Amino acid sequence: MVCSLFHTGVINPEKSAVRIESDDLGAGLNVPLLCRQCKNMKCLEGENADEGMEKRKFLWAPSRAQRCPFHALPVYDGYAYHCDLCGGNPRCLKVCTPNALSLQKVHGAGPL
Amino acid sequence: MTRKIAFIDLEKGTVRIEPISVELRRKFLGGRGMNMHLLSGSYTPELDPLSPRNPLIFGAGLLTGTLGFGSRMNITAKSPESGGLGDSNMGGHFGSELVKAGLSHLVITGRSPVPVYLSIKNGAFEIRDARGLKGLDTVETQKRIRRELGDHRVQIACIGPAGENLVRFACIRSGLKSAAGRTGMGAVMGSKNLKAVAVRGTLDIEIPNPGAYLTYYQSRLNRLMQSKWAAALGRQGTPLLFRNSNLMGFLSIQNNQYTAAGERVAGLYAEALEAYSTGMVACSGCPVHCRHRFAIKNGRYAGTMGEGPEYASMGSMGSKLGNYDIETVLFASELCNRYGMDTISGGTYIAWAMELYQRGIIDRTVTGMSLEWGNGEALIELLRRIAYREGFGNILAEGSFARPMLGESSREYLLEIKNLPIEMTDERLPKSFALGLATSTRGACHMRSRPSIDVLGLPEEVLNRVYGGPVSNRLSSYSGKARMVWWHERINAVADALGICRFQTVFSSPHALHYPHFAKLIAHATGLHLTPKEIKTIGERICTLERWMLARSGLTRRDDTLPKRYFDEPVPEGPAKGEVVSRKDFDGMLDEYYRLHGWDRNGVPRTGTLKKLGLIHENQS
Repeated sequence: MVCSLFHTGVINPEKSAVRIESDDLGAGLNVPLLCRQCKNMKCLEGENADEGMEKRKFLWAPSRAQRCPFHALPVYDGYAYHCDLCGGNPRCLKVCTPNALSLQKVHGAGPL
Repeated sequence: MTRKIAFIDLEKGTVRIEPISVELRRKFLGGRGMNMHLLSGSYTPELDPLSPRNPLIFGAGLLTGTLGFGSRMNITAKSPESGGLGDSNMGGHFGSELVKAGLSHLVITGRSPVPVYLSIKNGAFEIRDARGLKGLDTVETQKRIRRELGDHRVQIACIGPAGENLVRFACIRSGLKSAAGRTGMGAVMGSKNLKAVAVRGTLDIEIPNPGAYLTYYQSRLNRLMQSKWAAALGRQGTPLLFRNSNLMGFLSIQNNQYTAAGERVAGLYAEALEAYSTGMVACSGCPVHCRHRFAIKNGRYAGTMGEGPEYASMGSMGSKLGNYDIETVLFASELCNRYGMDTISGGTYIAWAMELYQRGIIDRTVTGMSLEWGNGEALIELLRRIAYREGFGNILAEGSFARPMLGESSREYLLEIKNLPIEMTDERLPKSFALGLATSTRGACHMRSRPSIDVLGLPEEVLNRVYGGPVSNRLSSYSGKARMVWWHERINAVADALGICRFQTVFSSPHALHYPHFAKLIAHATGLHLTPKEIKTIGERICTLERWMLARSGLTRRDDTLPKRYFDEPVPEGPAKGEVVSRKDFDGMLDEYYRLHGWDRNGVPRTGTLKKLGLIHENQS
């Protein structure tokens, strides 16, 4: 909810970059779906895109979601929703009370 | 604020969608408040709860689906269980999904000629054939509908065999555990030939000032997560209440013949449940995550899994029935969930039968089975017979209407108020709980008020400040408890109209959410500006409207009473030994309670009160 609210100004879980697949009628674990911030951005393959700039955007073209090997980007209403880490201060982290989310710097990764 | 209301006629197969005016929102908010407004026109003494004319009303809270705290909803109709006001509150995910589909309320009337289910997608309705779902339990029904609709994110509220068989205390269920449990809303749904309501919503919820809302929510959230009670609930759930009620002596043991059971109850304590817990889950958007998931891996019930149970279900299937084996309790509670019938009412009707059996008022020729206290096998078989209306189960399925069938001498052993049976506490010690039960508009309900902070023994300065008047901090005292009950009734009505979970309010702690916070949350989430005082008045309005509906159907002071056992039988032993409710002191509390509400000595709302609350022009049919 906070992801969509922060980025788009409305509450709509369909417009959130962080999603949880839950087995609410069964015993399975919840599975998070979220951009992995890959070093090797398969999502941008074939585009002449500035990776640094694209990483900082929230709304992406749906075609990029199709290229993602983790199927991590939700697509809704003409957009793919890409986690831009809220510019370094992820809103989802602040409301996740079981502390299931954390922000970690990967050794050797470039600036956000 | 753009959320709409849908009027569905299952006989004609029509759906009419209308907006909800701002004026109505300002008067009743949403959820329970709006439901009562919608029911009030149809609620008459002649209305048969199982007839097509009884409107089954679903209402999501005004803040449900937003960053409020908890996303709850109410389901309301005239009750087949009590013959009075039917109303039940439910958590989980269904309410939020309804809101995401652009709707906040559904009013369902008529009886479908064939079994059907409603499918709602973003405000578009379809009435679908449910013959293939007949007989399925409440979890299988949901799985099957999701497969049929090809969408595993559909949220479904449905009935099981108990609702289909019009068991008077059948409930409506969603997910693994969420239930509109009490007052038999499942039977109303069954009487309409409506197996389920399925909803999927992907619409935007517009927020006036997102930045301000996020900031305010974050500040309340941070405060919440520092509180002890949120941490305790989040880790242990409501079963943490067992220890205290056993130690202080306000548990119902063996149909309230006793009020504590010493070490035996430890088998049901939160610590005992933790051994079966596979984690905690939350209702939609709630940060407290107070619901257990459990699994039984070994023993006779191996393979049983589910969500919950709450303290009330464990008590109703457990301590009330002299049953302290947690695995039997978990299994029995899960059975009730699958069959789609209320654990609390079910437990009390069975306790009634067990006491009758104990006293020889009924025997095996009537029951078809041995019904000794603590007999787990009998409990499980009896639950099945009730759901399928077999043998003695067919009698108990009638709830308090079974009294004529079991004879005059059976009457006094069913502990009920306004035909709704009491729950798994015993209220002879905690006088505020007793008054709350007696005055609850849906009958013996522990959630209409339940001033649970009364057990904490807080300093009287704190209590006086919270309640705006003198209140004793002794649980067994009558002094000031009318004020306490009145105060909680009002705020609970508001919480239910907003969709905020009871656990997030003063139910849990005097420092939790109340009127000033409600005002801010409402403004942030909807743009509606109401002062704390106006919100308090809405609470009063909802309580008085419910009361007025009942009074117009003949309710008087005589009906605000307690089981005979509470007045005439002092607690025989244990920590609350000797506690009993004095009729004279009870009457004193009742007088003060009516005065605070602006009702007359008979508990009927005064004309002046009705006018002040803007209810005097409520339509009557």
